[in-house]
This record gives sequence, C-alpha cells and structure tokens, in this order.
Amino acid sequence: MDTSISNKISLTILLLIVGVFILFGLDLFLGSVNIPFKSICSILIGETAEKETWKIIIFQSRLPKAIAAILCGSALSVCGLQMQTLFRNPLAGPYILGISSGAGLGVAIFIMGLSFLGISGSAVTLSANSGIIIASILGSFGVLTILLSVISRLKDIMTVLILGIMIGSVITAIIGIIQYFSNDAQLKSFIMWTMGNLSSVTNDQLNLLLPVVVIGLILSFISSKSLNAYLLGEAYAKSLGVNIKKSRILIIIITSILTGSITAYCGPIGFIGIVIPHLARMISNSSDHRILTPLSILLGINVLLISDIISQLPGLDQNLPINSITSLIGIPFIIWIILKNKKIANLN
Amino acid sequence: MSKELNISSLTVGYNNKPTLKNISILSDKNMMIGVFGRNGQGKSTLLKTISGLLPPISGQFNFNGIDILNISEKERAKLLSIVSTTKSSIGAIKVQDFVAFGRFPYTNWLGINKVKDYQEIDKAIKLCKLERFANRNYDELSDGEKQKVNIARAIAQNTPLIILDEPTVHLDLINTIEVFKLLRELVKTHSKTVIISTHQMEYALQICDQIWLINEGKVESLSPAEIISQEKLTELFDDDLISFDKNSQSFRLK
Repeated sequence: MDTSISNKISLTILLLIVGVFILFGLDLFLGSVNIPFKSICSILIGETAEKETWKIIIFQSRLPKAIAAILCGSALSVCGLQMQTLFRNPLAGPYILGISSGAGLGVAIFIMGLSFLGISGSAVTLSANSGIIIASILGSFGVLTILLSVISRLKDIMTVLILGIMIGSVITAIIGIIQYFSNDAQLKSFIMWTMGNLSSVTNDQLNLLLPVVVIGLILSFISSKSLNAYLLGEAYAKSLGVNIKKSRILIIIITSILTGSITAYCGPIGFIGIVIPHLARMISNSSDHRILTPLSILLGINVLLISDIISQLPGLDQNLPINSITSLIGIPFIIWIILKNKKIANLN
Repeated sequence: MSKELNISSLTVGYNNKPTLKNISILSDKNMMIGVFGRNGQGKSTLLKTISGLLPPISGQFNFNGIDILNISEKERAKLLSIVSTTKSSIGAIKVQDFVAFGRFPYTNWLGINKVKDYQEIDKAIKLCKLERFANRNYDELSDGEKQKVNIARAIAQNTPLIILDEPTVHLDLINTIEVFKLLRELVKTHSKTVIISTHQMEYALQICDQIWLINEGKVESLSPAEIISQEKLTELFDDDLISFDKNSQSFRLK
C-alpha cells in the first residue's frame, strides 16, 4: 500500500489522458458525414456553423455518442475490477456473471410487464428515462445479491461462471415469457432496447446518466481501501477492521448502479469489464485499487472510444453494433488470460 | 480472579451446533499460549471465535477488561491480529506493501501511511528478518517466507494480542522453529500475548508458557510441566499407535 506511485505509472496515466482527448476528437471527427475538424471545433465552442445540419449531427449524434462511450468504458471497467476482487475471481465481470442480463430483466419488466400491474403505458412513457434506469439497477442488484448469497458455498471458479450463465439463461427464459404476453407496441420498444447501442443514447438520457456514473465512480474510488483488504481474503479483511457486510453491500450497490445505468441506455456491452482490469494490472504490476481504479477508468475510456471509432469507420453508412466489437476484442484476450493463468480454477 | 485474559462460559460452533461447550479459562497476559488438540476437535473454531471471525453461540471473551466479542471490527483490529493457514491469492504486491496492510486500522479512508506507520512497518520487517525480501514480490516467495511476511503484517498491526491458527503447517522444521522463536521474542521483549494452535507439540511444550488442551469437547488450561507430568498427551492420542515419553519429552511410536 505504498503511496508513492512510480514514475512509470504516472507516465502511463498521463499518456492515457492524452489518448482520451485524441480519441475523443477522432470520435467526433469520423463518421458517415465528413465535417472538417475546424468546423467541429467552432461548433463545440458555440460559434455558428457553416451548415446547420453539421451542428445537429455534432450535438445530437456524435457528441452524445462519444460521451456515452466515455461513461460506458469507465463504468463497466470499474465494475469488472470490483467484481473480480469481491468474488475473488479473475473472470468476473458484469456481462459474464449475468448482471447485465439482470439489468435487461429489469428493463423488460419495466417496458412490458408493468401493464400486468395495471399501470398504463402512457404514464410509463412520461417517466420512461428514469424508470428504465431504476428498473435496470434493481435488476442488476437482484442478480448480484443472488450470486453473493450462493458464492460462499462455492469453492470453484468455474462453478461460479456456470452459475452466471445459468442465471443468464433463466432470465432470458423469463424475458421470453414476458414478451409472449406483451402487446406489439411494448414488444417493439423492448426489441429496440435490446439492440441499443451508444448511438441510441439521447441528450436527455445523458443528463441522467452522467451524474449517476460520476457518483458511482467516486464511490468506487472511496472503497479502494476496503477492496485492497479483500485481496487478503475475508477473514484477514475482517481482522483488519473491515466491516464485511457493510462494505459488501456498498460495493454491490455501486456495481448495480454502474452496470444498471449503463445497460439501461446502451444495452448489454460485453467483456470490457473483464478485460480492462487485467490490462490495468498488467500495466501497473500492482494490486492496489487506489491505482487500479483510475487506471481502469482511463483504459476503459480509451478502449471504448477506439471500439466506437471502429464501429463507425468512414465508408460505412451504418454503425456496427458496439457489443460485437468489444466481444471481438475481448474474447481472444480472455482466452489468453485462461491459457496464461492455469491456476485459475482455484477460488480459495 | 482478576486475570487479564478471561474466557467465560464460551460455547463455540457453526450454525448453532456447539463444537465446544461452556469453556472457561483464566490466563495472564504477556504469555505464549499453545492450543493443542487433535484434528476436528475444535481448535480452529475456538480460535476463530475468540478472534471475532465467528460469532459465539454464547459466552464471553475478555482481554484487558474489554469484551472482545462485542466491539466493532474497527476497535477489535487495534486489539488483536490474526495469522492463519489460508494463503492469500493476491497478485502483484511487494512484501513491504503486504506488511503495510497491518497499518490498515490506523490509516485514513484512502489508506495513506504516515511516518509512524512506516516506522511500524520497518520494525515488523526487521523483527521477522525480512529486510532482503522487502522489495520482492510476495508471489515469488516460498511458503515459509510467505508465512513470515504474514506474521510481520500482524506485528505491524501492533496489537497486544496475536492469534495464530496453525501458522507452521506448511513449514519445514527450521522455519517452524524460527516462527516459534520469533513469537517467543514478541512475548518477552514486546509484551505481546500470543495464542497459537499447532501440531508441533514437542517444540511448543518447550516454548509456551501455558497450554490449552482440547480433548473430547473439553478445554483445559495447564502449564507445560503439568501436561508432561499428567501424561496428557498420551491421553490425547488415546490409541495404540503413539505415546508421549515423559523423560525425553517426545512422542514414541508403539
């Protein structure tokens, strides 16, 4: 727990911050419509644009998408980091443990299921943005609570992963049943949500998402100290004065809020949560969450901005789904982690 | 009757099923206390309970007049530290930083070490003779070295009471003796109270001031001399395979 951050890590952090700015600029610059970089800058600082459509493209499409990418990358990476420590499992992450599915169930119940309870659709649409986010957070919280209550009885890492997959399947089944009983309009809005990606995030939603994610990230940095103690194992953490129950609940709440809110608007985005924390550990050669948390945030932002840039490469009229790109980047990396770390099967 | 270490009518066990019932022990502090007992007799359960890791079914444990089992984790962390057999599967961490975990109860919300903390860390590293490992990675150490780092962490926690559950189980003879000697020194020169469970009874008898003997659901507190003269260890292993020889103070195969 040495506080002196080595020069190498400071330099990496600096480079990553520069990277965020460059990639953010690139993300605004690249797209199906070619807007000169100068015009983008003048639009951003509020000057009149040469074409009104450019302004609309920047403010209604590219800027919210780039900000969504930043929020998404930071939130999911930190979630992964916290889950890997909390579950003492190098392959834990919001997607693979079924927590994103839980968020999906929350949204499904919100969009399609509320009519069972006699709440009319129009009342729902009024508060749709905040309703979806709350439903999604509650869904993630539910899955996390189930996982955590069972996990103390499981000694094997693979069992935990299988459990995550099973939870995911059960949830898919339940969503299927809800879909079966819902009307066309509800079904359509839910399907639209499942296909959701960064570009579907509206400015109104960002107004809600931004503070929620920022609060979540601040809380996760504050819990760095107790997360560090978790590395020693629960008994030692307790003997060092950590209130296990309280800190667990706090971490679960943070993770639910981050995963839930992101999934609510961007849809399920996989593998960032597993990959980024490992990358952070490899770069810093440290297990200290006071270093890993900011490093994961920065790495997550960089990787998601890159993924977003790839998804809208010039020459493509349509955006590729971001989830496919993060999966294509993430899965080979995970296989590499498994092959490298043969001891992975022990939770201990 | 006013001893500093006082276990009174303590019943311990998991899920309300008592393993050891109604334990009452009085001991002085600044002692090295060995806990003997066969596997499955409840050594770990007892130590976990008095460490505050497992809630007691009933009863109390007082140390220096403080009801250890009814205070918050934070307060307890300044009174007692633990070392167990559980290996920490921690990734990349320097030995020095591992020992620094001992300062956890004293640091602020971000865990920043102050001058006093660094002094305690250095002291613990020196006591355990870990200076040359200080900048090595914890992962790369042998089991014996790891256990010493773990003990150094407990020392850095600077608590009057240290509870160790079979700390020598993965260690070879030399490492075991080193750990025993180190603990002995902590008791003698640093006024600590050490409670240690172990299967290395022959050596523990030579080095402990008192023994808590767990046998068939009962816990007795005896001096090493009483253990030997009353042939308690032959009683403990009540079968045809082994007996404890009073004269040589060692186990003999039958």
